[in-house]
Amino acid sequence: MPALMYSKKDRFKTAIIYIFLILWTAFSAFSLAWIITTSFKTNKELYAGVWSLPKGLNIANYVKAWNVVNLKRYFLNSVGVTFVSIVVLIFLCTPAAYVVGRFKFRGSRFLNNLFIAGMGIPYQLLLIPLYRLIIGFRLNDSLFGLGLIYVTLSIPFNVFLLSGFIRSLPSELEDAAMIDGCSEITTFWRIMFPLSQPGIVTSAILNFIFLWNEYMLALVFLTNDKRRTISLGLYSIQAAMQYTADWTGLFAAVVIVMLPTVLIYVVLSERIMAGITLGAVKG
Amino acid sequence: MLRRKRILVLLVPALVLYLALFLFPAVQSLWVSLHEWTGFTAKMKWVGLANYRELLHDELFWMSLLTTLKVLFIGGVLIFFFAFLFTFFLQAGVRGRKFFRAVIFYPNVVAPIALATFWGFLYNPRFGLINGLLRSLGLESLTQTWTGPDLIFGSVLVSLVWTYVGFFLVIFSSGADKIPEDYYDAAKIAGANRLQMFFHVTIPLTWDVLMVAVVLWIITAIKLFEFLFAFSGGIAAPKPLWTNAVYMFVLSFGKRVAIFRLGYGTTVAVTMLVLIIAFTGAARFAMRRERVEF
Repeated sequence: MPALMYSKKDRFKTAIIYIFLILWTAFSAFSLAWIITTSFKTNKELYAGVWSLPKGLNIANYVKAWNVVNLKRYFLNSVGVTFVSIVVLIFLCTPAAYVVGRFKFRGSRFLNNLFIAGMGIPYQLLLIPLYRLIIGFRLNDSLFGLGLIYVTLSIPFNVFLLSGFIRSLPSELEDAAMIDGCSEITTFWRIMFPLSQPGIVTSAILNFIFLWNEYMLALVFLTNDKRRTISLGLYSIQAAMQYTADWTGLFAAVVIVMLPTVLIYVVLSERIMAGITLGAVKG
Repeated sequence: MLRRKRILVLLVPALVLYLALFLFPAVQSLWVSLHEWTGFTAKMKWVGLANYRELLHDELFWMSLLTTLKVLFIGGVLIFFFAFLFTFFLQAGVRGRKFFRAVIFYPNVVAPIALATFWGFLYNPRFGLINGLLRSLGLESLTQTWTGPDLIFGSVLVSLVWTYVGFFLVIFSSGADKIPEDYYDAAKIAGANRLQMFFHVTIPLTWDVLMVAVVLWIITAIKLFEFLFAFSGGIAAPKPLWTNAVYMFVLSFGKRVAIFRLGYGTTVAVTMLVLIIAFTGAARFAMRRERVEF
């Protein structure tokens, strides 16, 4: 849209637009700033004034959250489960997305819709039958079992995102490789898989954000507190607050949970937002 | 053609896992919803349609259904209103639009449990930020029990709106960015102001995006769980926050007060699927029209 024109009336409207945008953005920025500053306070300081700044950089809350409350362990559990799930998803979903996105055969439309349908099914629907299956396999209360669930439930979104990306790739290289006598499968791994790299990176980042933040499934499928993921760990610290009343310690834990995704967002915000819209906006 | 069939090998691993651990349990839930099951015994007890009959007389179910619909409609209207407003603002040529957009979107990358912790403290009636601010301004009389039974739903709705406006802003504005500049030039020559351009150029030309956004919100709103459940301490989540998703979880796994009614919980989950199918179908029908090519 054309840039703002500066008549008197327009200047007034422009001011209102800026004020509104700035207020909303300021609150969002404030939420982050407040959480971080509070995590450096002592509880005594917090009760004395929730709006005040900390007297110094008191890292005791972090030391306690990391070691005593055992967030270190939860953090490592989450790093392991998300990292392995993401790698498995790449090698599972990129080939499937290639077939769905590139080939027409009997039932290819149905197959595409079958994967898309998964994005409309609420997890709650499959929770209990899945719980029975997982217990049957004796995979409950294990990070392997949780990873398996994470991978499976992420398949529809990943196939959707990656097939959309693969459809947009040019087919010349692919045709050339096939004329040179490469089989379809070799062509995929040698040509299309490397070409899909930008799409793969985007889906990997989004998977990281979703899985790092997830706690409902972890809450259902994990019982032993040593196996908690980071979000579930924060959930349990928060649930225990009524006994501990350690607010500043809680906010140090909040910062630890938020830090990885927020840092990735600071560096890759445009890419993350583009990935989110890939499905919604055609062309 | 025979040669081409080999390509299906690439599909098999993902498809098998998806069928076995996603679609199979999803379909099986219809079967499980016809049973009573505590989860402690291997065998489920067949009860036929008893769970569905129970739904009809279950006040907690109707209450949670109403709350789900409130999130869907009131939340949806507010979120789409602000997302449109910001899309309009950012399209109007403000400086730093990427920065504004990025900051408004940020809650969407943060763990819902972390957001719930922050908002819980913000609203805390005794030493929370809002009441603290009001007191220090001498407005003691305006302090409220934000997390009390009367206000908690509204309080939580505000935080949900704050979170999701960024998500839909990003979707709308990336759709709006794709509209060629000529259309606006033509509208300007025809004497349209910015608001008219927004309603007569931007919205019609992003109709497909809008439809996808509505469908996405319906799915998101109905399965929304983590923020609600974590708000004010998990298992003890107060009843005004019970949507079907929360009620389903409390029935099935509500750990502090063990209920473990897994069969009945699944019945509630089935109603969530029905809601999603009904509302996305209705939205698609209501918003159907010929595609505008540009």
